[in-house]
Amino acid sequence: MTTLPESGFLLLSGLLLGVGVFGLLTRRNFILVLIALEIAMNATILNFVYFAAFAPHAAGLSGQAIAVVLIGFAATEVAVGLAIVLGLNRLKGTIDVAQGNLLKE
Amino acid sequence: MDAFLLLDQWAFLIPLLMVVSFALVGLFGTRLRALEWGGWAAVGIGGIAMVLGVGIAIGEMLHPGTYVNAQYTWLHLAGTPGPFPEGISLVAGTLVDPLSALMLLVVTVVGFLVLLYSIGYMHHDRGLPRYYAELSLFLAAMTGLVLSNNLLEFFLFWELVGVCSYFLIGFYYEKPSAASAAKEAFLVTRIGDVLFLLGIFIYFFHFATTGPSGGWAANGFVFAHGTSPFLPTGSVGSSTLLTIAGLMILGGAAGKSAQFPLHVWLPDAMEGPTTVSALIHAATMVAAGVYLLAVTSVFIGFTATDQLAIVAVGGFTTFFAATMAVVHPDIKRVIAYSTISQLGYMVMAVGAGFAMVGLFHLFTHAFFKALLFLAAGSVIHALGTQDLFKMGGLRKPMRVTGTAFAIGGLALAGIPPFAGFWSKDDILGSMYGELGSHPLYWPFWILALLAVFLTAYYIFRAWFLAFGGNGPRDPTLPPAHEGSWVMQVPLVILSGMAVFGGLLIFVPGFQGLLLYGAGASGIPPVYGPTDLALSGISVTLGAAGIGVAYWLWGNGRIFVLPESSPLQPVRRLLLNRYYLKAAYDWVGARAVYGIARGADFVDRYVIDGTVHGFERAFGAASDRLRRGQTGVVSDYAAYVIAGLLGVFVLLLLVAPYLLAHLGGT
Repeated sequence: MTTLPESGFLLLSGLLLGVGVFGLLTRRNFILVLIALEIAMNATILNFVYFAAFAPHAAGLSGQAIAVVLIGFAATEVAVGLAIVLGLNRLKGTIDVAQGNLLKE
Repeated sequence: MDAFLLLDQWAFLIPLLMVVSFALVGLFGTRLRALEWGGWAAVGIGGIAMVLGVGIAIGEMLHPGTYVNAQYTWLHLAGTPGPFPEGISLVAGTLVDPLSALMLLVVTVVGFLVLLYSIGYMHHDRGLPRYYAELSLFLAAMTGLVLSNNLLEFFLFWELVGVCSYFLIGFYYEKPSAASAAKEAFLVTRIGDVLFLLGIFIYFFHFATTGPSGGWAANGFVFAHGTSPFLPTGSVGSSTLLTIAGLMILGGAAGKSAQFPLHVWLPDAMEGPTTVSALIHAATMVAAGVYLLAVTSVFIGFTATDQLAIVAVGGFTTFFAATMAVVHPDIKRVIAYSTISQLGYMVMAVGAGFAMVGLFHLFTHAFFKALLFLAAGSVIHALGTQDLFKMGGLRKPMRVTGTAFAIGGLALAGIPPFAGFWSKDDILGSMYGELGSHPLYWPFWILALLAVFLTAYYIFRAWFLAFGGNGPRDPTLPPAHEGSWVMQVPLVILSGMAVFGGLLIFVPGFQGLLLYGAGASGIPPVYGPTDLALSGISVTLGAAGIGVAYWLWGNGRIFVLPESSPLQPVRRLLLNRYYLKAAYDWVGARAVYGIARGADFVDRYVIDGTVHGFERAFGAASDRLRRGQTGVVSDYAAYVIAGLLGVFVLLLLVAPYLLAHLGGT
């Protein structure tokens, strides 16, 4: 085991997470919100891969496996998200997130 | 086992029968039209109850001094370390002893006669099923009261007779005066009831661990008997706590028995039907206060201070009520004041330690006073008025009623050999024997002696006004007629009791009813008047009263007090009932209303204000919170992230701090 090198990757993944969360909270366009969510998700995946590279053999493998699973998960999530976007568009004629406030009732 | 003692075990059947009558007439009375709206059903059941009651009394006469207690434990509260190590039992049961047998005899016999008389008297009234149902319920409660074997059960029935009295005074509820009289009776007696309850509480704590067989409270307040540590002479030494408890019991009795200063309700209770006045407000319910004092005096005992207070209240009321009867123009109210006055004699006798003497007067009084009321009822039934000054000459068309009223009057006035003579002179004579050792009793004894004169005067004034003279003074009155046989038979039977009731003490068996704890206990036996000189004085006073009444009112004379007479202010004072009722009304209207308004303010603005304040605070808070629920996804995402950050802060900053400072691991 070697010590972890410069934490550039961690900074990168932190930055990605920040960009993702910022986009998630500020964007009104539903598709942009989904994209922001993807960015935040990729920050997580990057972390898994990064730590897996330094882990012992078995743990490293499981880290990489989780990264692959997460990529699949992100794909399904986008599929569901886009389905919601279509539904919202059909219902309200817009994909503005703020218009999807039926839960309020 | 003797058949009568077996009957004592089943004494609870008497109240039960009357409850059945209450339910039967109350529920199906309107369908019993052929039976006088259920009246004959009530009379029949009342007759069975009377047979049982008389049977129990005969059994007690054959076995003097015995008692039969039948009870079961109603509720047992487990003991706690502290004041009640044995726990507390509440029992329900019946106790047949000389006291209750005597009362049972009075209640069932007078009750039956009044039910019978009502068939004729109430004939024209509406709401008869209600009347008979309420009267049955009253008899159930009253017989239950006299059979109670413990103070709590006694109190329950005590309240029940009170509410029946309320119903029956307000029987003509569409009349405002009757409705208000019913309320007055209920509220005034309620003052006494609260005091009575306080008295029970004090006895409860005082006798929780002492008394017969361990603890009185632990044994369910059951009245103890001759072998108890309580002195059955009516006295229990001196104890501040017991003195207070005794005064509370006196307060309860004063409310029920209409003693000064809680007497105001009884004259107004005459708004009810006359039959109700005869049964409830002359013979039975108002006697319950005297009975309570007698029971307390026999089973618990009063302190010397209590005894003086009771003698004072009784003796003063005797005279005080008699003075008001002297001037009143209403035939029923004259008899009502007379009832208050006679109850005063009984209270005084019980207070002086002669419980059984007092109960003997209760016994004779119940019959001759019911007789007077029923005779007055006959007059009211025939004429439709209660004003003595409109009546006159009734002795000719109403021979039975006139004779009955005269017999009742002679018994009340204490003329031998009528019933009242034996019992009243027994009270005066027994008290006289005590005067040497209790000099403070003197003034009240003298007041009671003077009341003998007033009693004879006012009752014969009423007789001369109603029955004497040549004809009615008010020509618009309908011609008088005698009532039907159902009204005459009770008059005849009660007249018999008014003549011979006092002579019963010479019947050896009957004395058994008046001996309590024969021999050992020290309750003085009753043998009628023993002091001939004293009897001479009281009979002379009574005869003088009758003489003065004849001189002023006989032969149709009307005595009018001259306007210039110095007695005019006294007359006005008496007619206005010493202004006590006005004073009570003032207290009710001003003081109580003021307190009520204060309470209303507290309720409306302090208590309700607190409640509404909480309501408004939570309403406002929830309104704020609700605004956060926008329904917009990104807002919820923001909340989730904020929450997550909060968890991080807790985990990374607060938790290590707490662990370091609180020493956790």
